[in-house]
Amino acid sequence: MAPQLTLQAPLELPPQDVSDYLGRLWNGGEQDATSSGAATFSLLVWQPSWIEQHLVRLGRLDGPITGLEREELLQAARQAVPACGLPLSTSPLAPELAWQLGQLPGDQASEDLRGQYVDPAISLHQPRRLITLAPSLDHHQHLETLVAAYCPLPEDGPASSVCGDVVVMRGGMEALQRGLGMVNPLIPAELPCWVWWNGTLDEAPDVFEGISQAPRRLIIDTAIGTPARALDVLSQRAAAGQAISDLNWYRLSSWRENLAMVFDHPGRRDALAHVVQLDIDVQGHQPVQGLLMAAWIANRLGWSLESSNHCEGDGISASFRRPDGVAVQLRQMPVPVGDPSTHPGSIVGLRLVCRPEHRAPLCVILCGETGGCMRLEAGGMARMELVEQVVTSTIESAQREVSRTLRGGHDSTNPLLAACVPLASRLLPR
Amino acid sequence: MTATLTNPLRVGLRQERVISPQCLVIFGASGDLTHRKLIPALFDLFRQRRLPSEFAVLGCARRPWSDDEFRQKMEAALASKIADDPESWKTFSAGLFYEPVDLQKSDDLVRLGKRLEQIDRQRATRSNRTFYLSVSPAFYGSGCRALAAAGLLADPKRSRVVIEKPFGRDYASAQELNRVVKSCGQENQIFRIDHYLGKETVQNILVMRFANTIFEPIWNRNYIDNVQITAAETVGVEERAGYYETSGALRDMVQNHLTQMLALTAMETPGRYDPEAIRNEKAKVLQAARLADEAEPWNCCVRGQYGPGGTSSDPLAGYRQEPNVDPNSTTETYVAMKLFIDNWRWQGVPFYVRTGKRMPKRMSEVVLTFKEAPVHLFDSSGGGAPGANQLILRIQPNEGADFRFEVKAPGSGMRSRPVDMDFSYDESFGEPSDEGYVRLLADAMLGDPTLFTRSDEVEAAWRLYTPLVELIEQQPWQLPVYPYEASTWGPAASDSLLARDGLLWRRP
Repeated sequence: MAPQLTLQAPLELPPQDVSDYLGRLWNGGEQDATSSGAATFSLLVWQPSWIEQHLVRLGRLDGPITGLEREELLQAARQAVPACGLPLSTSPLAPELAWQLGQLPGDQASEDLRGQYVDPAISLHQPRRLITLAPSLDHHQHLETLVAAYCPLPEDGPASSVCGDVVVMRGGMEALQRGLGMVNPLIPAELPCWVWWNGTLDEAPDVFEGISQAPRRLIIDTAIGTPARALDVLSQRAAAGQAISDLNWYRLSSWRENLAMVFDHPGRRDALAHVVQLDIDVQGHQPVQGLLMAAWIANRLGWSLESSNHCEGDGISASFRRPDGVAVQLRQMPVPVGDPSTHPGSIVGLRLVCRPEHRAPLCVILCGETGGCMRLEAGGMARMELVEQVVTSTIESAQREVSRTLRGGHDSTNPLLAACVPLASRLLPR
Repeated sequence: MTATLTNPLRVGLRQERVISPQCLVIFGASGDLTHRKLIPALFDLFRQRRLPSEFAVLGCARRPWSDDEFRQKMEAALASKIADDPESWKTFSAGLFYEPVDLQKSDDLVRLGKRLEQIDRQRATRSNRTFYLSVSPAFYGSGCRALAAAGLLADPKRSRVVIEKPFGRDYASAQELNRVVKSCGQENQIFRIDHYLGKETVQNILVMRFANTIFEPIWNRNYIDNVQITAAETVGVEERAGYYETSGALRDMVQNHLTQMLALTAMETPGRYDPEAIRNEKAKVLQAARLADEAEPWNCCVRGQYGPGGTSSDPLAGYRQEPNVDPNSTTETYVAMKLFIDNWRWQGVPFYVRTGKRMPKRMSEVVLTFKEAPVHLFDSSGGGAPGANQLILRIQPNEGADFRFEVKAPGSGMRSRPVDMDFSYDESFGEPSDEGYVRLLADAMLGDPTLFTRSDEVEAAWRLYTPLVELIEQQPWQLPVYPYEASTWGPAASDSLLARDGLLWRRP
């Protein structure tokens, strides 16, 4: 499905007039009498799209800038990775690529349509108000505010009369910070509000703090940015009772499902009480997803953490204690991959070794579809019952991932995530 | 924590959609269905975090109960469930309310409207309402009319009606009820419930067929010889004699549950997984279905009624000896029939459908028997030709699927024998599935009609059995009720129905 543009050209208004204009839009006047604003939710998006902006500026990607995770963008980013001298394992959306691109000269101009292209995955949910904060590369650019009414047109039926509106605030970082005061009055108080921080948590901390407080429901992606900062935000907000969703955690679903599936078989369940070793391979040097997986397993099986350290090869090793007092060793290693996933730190493989009493040891190996699991498959398993599964990778755009989160409609943090984040945070050697 | 009874890694993995804020209004709240199925299903949804905090249940019936009395009665009915999680019950039950309402009294409807507004304020349910008609079928039409007249169905985006089976008594009454219901609201507000469609294994028919490339190419007249659909119960009529005497097995089971299984088994591939696409295909296949002999239905249908049986230590009463049953009753407790589907896929393939009470086993299944190999190169180990392949979809119990095929029997000769390749939900997933009502209540409140029956489906299903219904009502002697001993597989005439085609019922 192609992204949909707003029906009318967005109107550029002085920031102070936006609120009044939107009020008039829905209270008679400019809309058809049958139209009504959707009683759904509002979505506030931090949309820096640094890599896209740089690629367009450098002429490596055709404009306009849309903010969408489109295939051309990912292709251009993959091609830029070696050109910037980064390791081939670098994810095309890694912040280090944005930084490297920023060092290159170029001034190709292009139209900036961030916030005006609405992905159908998002428009499907008929947000009442979609507010996009779109920081520009030029830090000193003044604040522009654009407003448009928006009625999603379903592909298979007549136009819905349930409409929303889009507001775009575009400008340099300074101007955006100054304009933050107008954001809160724009958010309908009677409806839930989701904040999607579609960038690293290391950038613009004042803006982040300004827009992301409870009771707003926060969506972040801990796959990008500094692991410590990402895990701290996640654990602090979850502990404070704020509803927070992590796309990186969401991407673990198929790994968690596959591992659970191995032990659905009643004859294998007992082995879960006898795990002695857990190995996780992740793509590159972003450990958060692997740590979330390890923490989930540890939490579900009642292990307590004893120590966690860096180990040779830039990995992480940790010791746990099972409820019966037996030690469990965790070793998480970064591995190079030929065709890196869009998301830094994606799990490549997982091995769980169980030594139940009075029966053969069990070795479970889960292996991602695109990477090899040679390290995990190597040696030592001749006398074990071996269960190997290939975990299907579902690569979806960030917009689709957010769409699934919105579809869920949960007004609290996933309890499994809330339970394992403090442990994941402690697993990260500081 | 690490007990082997449950898989600790499975706990909490499912993250389903949360239902939007709303109030579920149950009419007939003092009845059986409410405390046996509906409230337990809602409590399960609550424990699965699928209900929002802005949620309420308003029980309505004629009895003059208070909110507290309603809560106490529900608590007593759910005692064993609550014992596992008393804290959750405390929170959940705070959202249970009760209002004495007689749907035939306009004053009561006005009071109901006010109570709903009060609950909207109290529980922030935002005027989203699902009305569940768990009342006598005679009141479905008037109930809808009363709700519409009170303005409670005015907003199609905020109000829905769930209607229990049976939807009509025959084709004409189903048409009339549809007309009344549609005059009260839009089709997308109406959710005609058939709890069989809430079963995982019934939904699995769709997944088996349309998520696997191996089945669809052979799922047609070129490869399939016949299809048998069975729903057998070990119980008798129990306390439902009043209702059952007016319905019988045809109306109680065949027109709805078995016909839905037939539709899912025989429908064409929908273009996408979408409520209308699925229901279009189901309606189309039912419109193409017919009794094998519509002119003389007694040639393709057998009725039966269970008589006394059991053992001397555990005797079973016959149907006519059951409490509140007419001693001369001719209501059928067993029915078997042969159908055809006149379309390109199924032309000439017989579908045999049977259901009965007081059968030796409780089971529901769909059995697809494939055509025999055109040339028999090998003898079977039992002598004669090898058996035909069979795919058995077990709906309940021991949910799963079974594929029967021939292999070489060990030994020096080239004899074949049948073996089973078995898939069991229990062994593969190890966790009990949700009750059908959990899924269906959630879907209704989410506004997803995929697993609910559309008006044209209901009418097509009634039209299919019209020749039988008319015959039973107008010339019942043409379709006699054969007695069968309790705990047997129905009357001998039922076996003859298949024997005429050189077939046997599968004995599970």
